[in-house]
Amino acid sequence: MSADWSIDELMVVTLAREFTNETRAFNGAVSFVPVCAYLLARRTHAPDLVWAASSIAIDADPPAIPESTLSDGLWDGAAMLSNSAYDFWSYAQSRRYNTFAFRGAQMDAYGNVNNTVIGPYESPKVRLPGGGGMADLGCMIPLIYLWSTTHDPRTFVERLDFRSGLGWGDGGDHRERLGLPGGPQLCVTNLCVFDFEPTTKRMRIRSVHSGVTVQQVVEATGFELPPADGDVPETDPPSIEELRILREEVDPTGARLREFR
Amino acid sequence: MHASPALATHRDGLRLDLSDASFGTAFSDIAVRRMTALAPEGKLRSLEAAAELVPDGATVALGGLSMNSAPMAFVRALARRGVRNLTLVAIVAGMPVEWLVAAGCVRNVISGLVSLEGFGLAPRFRAAVQAGEVEIEEYSEHTLICRLQAAAYRLPYMPTKAGLGTDMLALHPETTREQHDPLTGEPYVACTPLPVDFAVVHAAAADSRGNVRVDPKLVWMDAELIKAAAATIVTVERIAPHSSFVAAPHLTTYPRFAVDTVVEAPWGAYPTSCFPRYRYDGDFFRAYVAAHADPATAETFWQERIAGPETHAAFLDANGGAGTLLAIARRTT
Repeated sequence: MSADWSIDELMVVTLAREFTNETRAFNGAVSFVPVCAYLLARRTHAPDLVWAASSIAIDADPPAIPESTLSDGLWDGAAMLSNSAYDFWSYAQSRRYNTFAFRGAQMDAYGNVNNTVIGPYESPKVRLPGGGGMADLGCMIPLIYLWSTTHDPRTFVERLDFRSGLGWGDGGDHRERLGLPGGPQLCVTNLCVFDFEPTTKRMRIRSVHSGVTVQQVVEATGFELPPADGDVPETDPPSIEELRILREEVDPTGARLREFR
Repeated sequence: MHASPALATHRDGLRLDLSDASFGTAFSDIAVRRMTALAPEGKLRSLEAAAELVPDGATVALGGLSMNSAPMAFVRALARRGVRNLTLVAIVAGMPVEWLVAAGCVRNVISGLVSLEGFGLAPRFRAAVQAGEVEIEEYSEHTLICRLQAAAYRLPYMPTKAGLGTDMLALHPETTREQHDPLTGEPYVACTPLPVDFAVVHAAAADSRGNVRVDPKLVWMDAELIKAAAATIVTVERIAPHSSFVAAPHLTTYPRFAVDTVVEAPWGAYPTSCFPRYRYDGDFFRAYVAAHADPATAETFWQERIAGPETHAAFLDANGGAGTLLAIARRTT
């Protein structure tokens, strides 16, 4: 049983379904999609999920989501504000926080992300905001989720112009060799859901969204995808109840649409 | 790079303990002028006088985080003063970097992230870096914090796992280098000290001795900046009596020996927020980004709403005055 939904709603719901009562998450800048997903998961199937708004306000429950996911406008209802940065970085490095979502202007097949420059670093064509905490948290956090609202060959590239945030690195056991836990679990885009082949750690198609063909995904992806293993399923649509909670309770002002301009 | 001689004198100089009571809780430009006149070696300064302390070429670390608690009133004073060749340290920032870059004050930005968040990319910063007018020395947040901690602890480096496997380390191998533990062989990143001349942070209240309170508590990385800095300038929403600090010492955030200069600047984080007193002004951010669609409107906006107004009060008036302040004020119990 489903209803009319839009792509932003499908992405939030798909991500939310990955989270559980064991998820202990936080968020960085311009992270409307995962923030909505944490809040939705908590209101549907994962009431014990931990989410620190802006990595600061633990168990926040904001009435609406402001223009900035790093702002105190997101903190209403929190049970605790972190003690300086020491709390956050200690809990992140000790893996009490275990879940982080990030994205970038470019992403490669291993889930490494660029949010630093397009073009050469010394003379960039576009100077992007910078990696912020993704280079840190990509290394420290075991369960990494990626998302992209612009699935095209400019975003999904064979070779990043700059590696700001670590996914599976060079693939295989690269993270293990660096002594780093876990790695990217999933990448939800506006066309499909990728997961990672267990040995090579390269992206592969887990499902395509309704109305999207595998061929379209292949053409929109700048790196090579493994041939589909049988029929590729369609991404499960949101339920009526998930849509209602997202629209009415989690994000009544549609802040998530800022990522879809 | 060391703090200016003027500041060193200021640090070692005679400190007169004037009665705090007379400076009360009002918006007291007058009180500051009077204090400065009465106690030239004291810690209280006007915004303009505090901005004079920062010489060309200084390394200035700016507090706050993104949309929150940046020392904007001081940044504006610094921009108006026209200081040159600053190195800015801003872990995660947006508008303060924009203003100082726009005023031509900046040579180098050491940062993890510069953006205006959901409002867009930081237009002046982006253009200046792409034109090669400003250098960016990019770190990840945690390697930058580790560099500040190494400076605070006077250690050769702080270790972290952050940044392994990324291109970040190769940008500056002399300050973030991959090493291996001699016993276990485990790789880590050694982050060398980042010495800072001035830390500038915004807080709720201070007494005239330089005790500072962040109310309700410090959630940013401002303390790391202060500990790494040779000198600290704090802007506060209000000057409070020393007795109020003695009455609640567990609420004091920075001790007086770590604070060199105090500036009373009510609404001093505007247009960023000052939790839990007021929110960021979304209208300002929207208008700022919109104005930068065109160089002429950007320049008009810069003159009329940021750089032009002669006083802090005139600046607030140029951005809607009381109407804006009432709109962003949080209703706290």
